[in-house]
Amino acid sequence: MAVSQAPLISLRQVGKSFKDGKVRALENISFDVRPGEFVSLVGPSGCGKTTLLRLINGLIEADEGQVRVLGQPPEPGPDLAMVFQSARLLPWLTVVGNIVFALALRGIAREDRTQRALALLGAVGLREFADAYPHELSGGMQQRVGLARALAVEPKVLLMDEPFAALDAMTREVLRGELLRMWSRRRMAIVFVTHDIDEAVLLSQRIVLLRPRPGRVDEILDVELPEPRWQNDPRTLPAFAAMRKHLWDRIHAMVGDGAELEELAGAFPDVEPPQAQAR
Amino acid sequence: MTELAPAHRTAPTLASPHSPSPVSSAAVLAERARTRRRREQGMVLGSQVTIALLFLVGMYALNATAGNLTMPNPLDVLDKSIIMWSDGTIPRALGQSLTVLGLGFLLAAVTGISLGILLGGFRFVGRVFDPFVNAMNSTPGAAFIPLIIVWFGLYTEAKVIVVWNAAVFPILINTAAGISSANKDLVEMARAFGASRMTLFWKVMVPDAMPSILSGLRIGAAICTVGTVIAELTMAQSGLGGLLIAAGNRFQMDRYFAVVIVLMALGTLITALLRYAERRLARWRVSLQEGR
Repeated sequence: MAVSQAPLISLRQVGKSFKDGKVRALENISFDVRPGEFVSLVGPSGCGKTTLLRLINGLIEADEGQVRVLGQPPEPGPDLAMVFQSARLLPWLTVVGNIVFALALRGIAREDRTQRALALLGAVGLREFADAYPHELSGGMQQRVGLARALAVEPKVLLMDEPFAALDAMTREVLRGELLRMWSRRRMAIVFVTHDIDEAVLLSQRIVLLRPRPGRVDEILDVELPEPRWQNDPRTLPAFAAMRKHLWDRIHAMVGDGAELEELAGAFPDVEPPQAQAR
Repeated sequence: MTELAPAHRTAPTLASPHSPSPVSSAAVLAERARTRRRREQGMVLGSQVTIALLFLVGMYALNATAGNLTMPNPLDVLDKSIIMWSDGTIPRALGQSLTVLGLGFLLAAVTGISLGILLGGFRFVGRVFDPFVNAMNSTPGAAFIPLIIVWFGLYTEAKVIVVWNAAVFPILINTAAGISSANKDLVEMARAFGASRMTLFWKVMVPDAMPSILSGLRIGAAICTVGTVIAELTMAQSGLGGLLIAAGNRFQMDRYFAVVIVLMALGTLITALLRYAERRLARWRVSLQEGR
């Protein structure tokens, strides 16, 4: 990997609180994303993964520290595109209309929009559904439209917030492959949020493991598995298993620290909270 | 792929060489479903006609036992209807009523939607005006009639104001609620793609509020018919309301019923029209509700 390249995204000692500072979401987060790199943010619930993505997108601002995208404070715009857990398509627009909507925001000339949108739909295999409305599509197809919309603006950074979490296992598998193929062709940087360890190891070049409450960086790991991964499935390799085990051990350790138990204590009030003053 | 598409889209791909005669079996299934639907439609219509006939029989019975004053003979009502339609009484009254109703509704729709957009779009404005809008909305429209008479007189313009006053608040409240409760996920999506505030508002929040705006209009239109009749009863008597009270005062129940039937038809027609508009303009939402 080209380690010498200047980072595309850099976070330095980033902190963020919610509810007037009562809830500490993120603390002292520092990492870089290089151009063309596929980075996964992994961690148990409550570790601020989605908050981090929104910070990078510029939807919210950090309370402490510094977030830089292309050397600038981030602003929602054409350099960044987001894919959400649900497709978030505008239900009153057709499939092609939804992509045209994003292209219009990007400032593409009106006459080029439809053609480009159709080309993108072809790339995700949905060209014949261009005039369908989102509710006529299955969840997997909707998510592909969401992906096409994000790719259509040709972002330098693709932000993905658990994009496959709500899909069935088979669709998820297919879309992972498509994403890797898309990425290898276009080589935008991808910041991929997931709570699925296997998915993180399978897809990414680097994994940022986060600890919850408040969200902190636990460990940053390079994933060294043979490329291209959509052709030779790395899941059978010992390296994959080792990586997976290592990550699970870390997460079990976190749970042992009471991170998840705190949540459980709230769910069953008659149970004695094991570490109520953990925070 | 395991993905399912709506039936009409997958139908062509089903006709693959693997299945022996998918086209004909699909046609048989479609035909069976169509027959079932037609039968159900027939049952509904049949029941409706029966209920209408029962009403007529009831009218006859009441007329025969209690006399013309309690309930007119349906045939007399039909007679009077024909006379009043052909001598221009009802068409003229209908014209007057429709003028008041139409102008009032138009005014209420324009002001209600624009104020609603303002109140729903700007949280601060919405919060400031909320108690006032609620106060006005919960006051019966008829309460303002004396004031409106003093300010605007007794004729068409005053009646239009009565209708406007009755209909504007439901339209305004529905519009404002639709916009302020716009889908947060979609708003965030548009913001993430760099939508400006104006784009966000006109291309996401207002379309998202469209179903809510349209149901506001439908409720408003129904109230408009009520408002029109009330205005025509209490102010200078005119239109269908005027005919109604004139016939009622003279105990001409057959004439009275002839007018009531027109009002019923008018109300039904207006609601049906707006429901049609709702279906066309917010097709995506309607089909979501009806299930795939």
